Amino acid sequence: MHVATTVNETPLERLKSRPRAAPPPAPNLMNRPAGTRPVDGGAYPDRDASYASGVMSPGQPQSTGATLSGPAAAAARAEVAVPTILATDPALHLLRRTTFGVTQTELAEVRQVGIDRWLQDQLEPAKVADADADHVWSGYRTASMSPVQIRGAIKKYSWDAMFEYGQATLTRQLWSRRQVYEVMVDFWANHLNMTMPSDAAWDVGVSYHNDVIRKHAIGTFTDLLLDAMRHPAMLSYLNNNESKKSAVNENLGRELLELHTVGVRSGYTETDVRNSAYILTGRTIDGETGAFKYDPKRHWTGPVTVLEFSHANASADGGLDVGDAYLRYLAAHPATARSIARKLAVRFVADNPPTALVDRLTEVYLQSGTAIHPVLWALFSSTEFWASVGQKTRRPLENVVATARTLGVRPGADNEATKKGVGSLYWSLDQLGHRPLAWAPPNGYPDVQAAWASAGGMLQQWNRHRGLVQGWWKELTYVKPEQLVQAGTVGEFVDGLCDRLLFQRMLPAHRDALLAFVGEPAGKAFTSSNLKGMAGHLAPLVLDSPYFALR
Amino acid sequence: MRHSLNGNVNQGEAALRTRAENVRTQQQDRAGAWSRGFTRRRLLAGAGFAGVAAIGSQLVTTRVSFGDPTQNSGTLVVVFLRGGMDGLSVVVPADDPHLLAARPNIAVRAGSLLPLDRGFGLHPALAPLHKYWGTRQLTAVPALSTPDLSRSHFQAQDCLERGGSSTDAAAGGWLDRVLTELGPGTTFRAIAEGSTLPRSLVGGNGALALRGIESFKLGGWDGVHDKTVQALTTLYTGFDHPLATQAATTLAALDTAETIAATDYKPAVEYPDHGFATSLANIAQLVKSDVGLRVACVDLGGWDMHTGLGKVDGGDMLRMLTALGGSLAAFAADLGDKLDEVTVVTMTEFGRRIEENANSGCDHGHGSVALLLGGKLAGGTVHGNWQGLAPEVRDHGDVPGSNDYRNLLGELVTARLGLSAAALAKIFPGHTVEPIGIAR
Repeated sequence: MHVATTVNETPLERLKSRPRAAPPPAPNLMNRPAGTRPVDGGAYPDRDASYASGVMSPGQPQSTGATLSGPAAAAARAEVAVPTILATDPALHLLRRTTFGVTQTELAEVRQVGIDRWLQDQLEPAKVADADADHVWSGYRTASMSPVQIRGAIKKYSWDAMFEYGQATLTRQLWSRRQVYEVMVDFWANHLNMTMPSDAAWDVGVSYHNDVIRKHAIGTFTDLLLDAMRHPAMLSYLNNNESKKSAVNENLGRELLELHTVGVRSGYTETDVRNSAYILTGRTIDGETGAFKYDPKRHWTGPVTVLEFSHANASADGGLDVGDAYLRYLAAHPATARSIARKLAVRFVADNPPTALVDRLTEVYLQSGTAIHPVLWALFSSTEFWASVGQKTRRPLENVVATARTLGVRPGADNEATKKGVGSLYWSLDQLGHRPLAWAPPNGYPDVQAAWASAGGMLQQWNRHRGLVQGWWKELTYVKPEQLVQAGTVGEFVDGLCDRLLFQRMLPAHRDALLAFVGEPAGKAFTSSNLKGMAGHLAPLVLDSPYFALR
Repeated sequence: MRHSLNGNVNQGEAALRTRAENVRTQQQDRAGAWSRGFTRRRLLAGAGFAGVAAIGSQLVTTRVSFGDPTQNSGTLVVVFLRGGMDGLSVVVPADDPHLLAARPNIAVRAGSLLPLDRGFGLHPALAPLHKYWGTRQLTAVPALSTPDLSRSHFQAQDCLERGGSSTDAAAGGWLDRVLTELGPGTTFRAIAEGSTLPRSLVGGNGALALRGIESFKLGGWDGVHDKTVQALTTLYTGFDHPLATQAATTLAALDTAETIAATDYKPAVEYPDHGFATSLANIAQLVKSDVGLRVACVDLGGWDMHTGLGKVDGGDMLRMLTALGGSLAAFAADLGDKLDEVTVVTMTEFGRRIEENANSGCDHGHGSVALLLGGKLAGGTVHGNWQGLAPEVRDHGDVPGSNDYRNLLGELVTARLGLSAAALAKIFPGHTVEPIGIAR
């Protein structure tokens, strides 16, 4: 019967009865060498690089490219090598990538002043008047308040100010004329993520985003990092406010290396992590005022070494300066330059960006003393940027905001109405897992298609298209769907909708699908009786299409 | 004659394969008219990646989405406890004198623990699960790790979810490779409860991320539902891009979801008021709906207790374990007899340091604990190597990784999903799975 048993053996029984190889070596029970490196647990530069490696990214970014004298010159030189359904018009590509969604206004602007001039202005946001968005922002009472003012304005530990700030941020994305700036604000808010809402940020979170992220979004990374690592919101988010020489908390010291600066591939060790945390001890919060405080009594003194940074760190009083020197060292480190260059390339170019481009941006970052403006200018002056049409996907928040922008959804009758409408829209983003500033872990929202591959997310985006076409959030101002386009025939209406919402036409078979949906011949007259109701269903379909899903 | 059960499995699998082949042919016909100008599929094939049509062939869509009732499939539920759960607070080595010495404030005292064996006790907040210890449907493995897990959250999660540290052999997720080895299945054969896809499911197999059947429905499509679905199908045809696959799976899943939603459904028990519990309730609904669910993923974050881990009667650990235990117990009760067809495993990126810190918490450590609940388990005993907490045993001050995660997971997918040793070699490249003994 032994044979019969074998035949009916389950896979588990087979696994258990399999002849064993020599037993594996006993686990190393001794202490690890102090030089253990986190990089040995996996060698991708960051989370998004790991995700993108798990699937084939759309298209093959060209492997060689060049940085030319300016964006327009690069646009003229670059060839879109990877087939794409998107129109390759550089003005459209520029706006899909550098704004929260193309609008007629921005497109006309780029066409009028040219790519270079438009980008120059956008990269100096103070020069771009933004009265409408400023007015909407002013309706959010707490969005410009200091921590002390917020403490006086809301109940202790209430999350009201943080939710209000998330919604105020959404209005900037929707209606600000400083779109490149808003994209960079979003970029840094994720790079130096401090979740809104989170418990410790009820009073200081608003200030973190205003006084750190927004302040330095197109400044230098050194200034951004120095201010972030002195801000009570970041210090408490990653527990540094509780770190002291007698009880060192490694949380911020570790994420500073891994997420904010050099990245795990720089090869730092667990001992480096420990030293990083030592250096940051003493950076805490004044219990009375909630403001940043350096407390020498908490500072760990003695020699410290992290990568090639060394300091005697002899006095408690000097600990804050040691920390600043350390942060300057990290900000200007070539590995930090590469991390940020790569992340910018992932944001603006492709999920798997060309190495040659990342190399060149790294160099610019190092030569510019960590200034962001020159790096962005070099990125937009690269042929790789202009060749990458169709290689990014809009994330859920970007898809929804772009929908509102292309449809011309505007604020409501007054700020109270706007706030109500935007509030509902903000909460509806929760179903998509992408409310502004709300990613919980310190690594920020992902920005590669593989991470957002979600059937539920896709369906909810399609539903939001209907909501914004059909005007579900009543307090906002909408264009009626049948008035989006003036047309004489059904065919003209379909084409007009594509022009109006996508700024391009569809492939013939896709156009036929829209006509089949309408169920009328292309040449049939477009009248209010036959199509008024249909427009509210047809416009969302145009937005559901892959032509709109790509960034 | 083969064992009748095996016969049914083979019959079911064969039927699925036939259906899958039909779906693939239909998709190819549709895509064929489109392929002019799109050469990427060939590029992908050359690079060893599955093209869109190949991905589609793994899924049996639309009207044949429901699992074959004669097929004894079973479901693996992977709960990822993000943040690094402190195993020493959960499956507590209460008899070890080193525990109290290292944790004078936060160690759970022997008197308050629920009895397990081998000197371990269970945190009292997990009391709702303890009855499954008696029915041999609950077990645990302590001192779990892989040799290359780091003490960084993101590196350790990445390594675990890819099923290896190699960036070449383990570029996709380990569960995606499980799906590849399982072969064709239904649209709902793999789901993740959430808005983003867990790294473990990244790859070519089109797993569904969603937040329950309840929210997976159309809004504002009244009167044009079928036409809209038809138009969307065409709009994503001829577009050779991962989004096209996603659209196809979304539309296929919608069909199944609408069928489920049309059936009156109420969980058999009331779940706790917690997002994690809701996710488990959603998974239970899918299990009971026979949609062919084989793999389900759900996350529970909040375990990074550098501060405020607390004591047995208060603090973050009590709060989190109450949520975990209450939700899992409701899940098990809701499934009833079907619990035997489901196996739940919890994972976490690392355990925490043995010594408590001064903030009533613990910093990042190494060896962690997995809890296992459901069918196919050799329950009622704690499994795996355990060397205690003596200083000479510690790894860098932490619980050592005396048991390899891949051995646990490998044994589990073999027992639960019926995968072969040859499949395991592909799922965990470079590692030979040696069973720990958790499964029966």
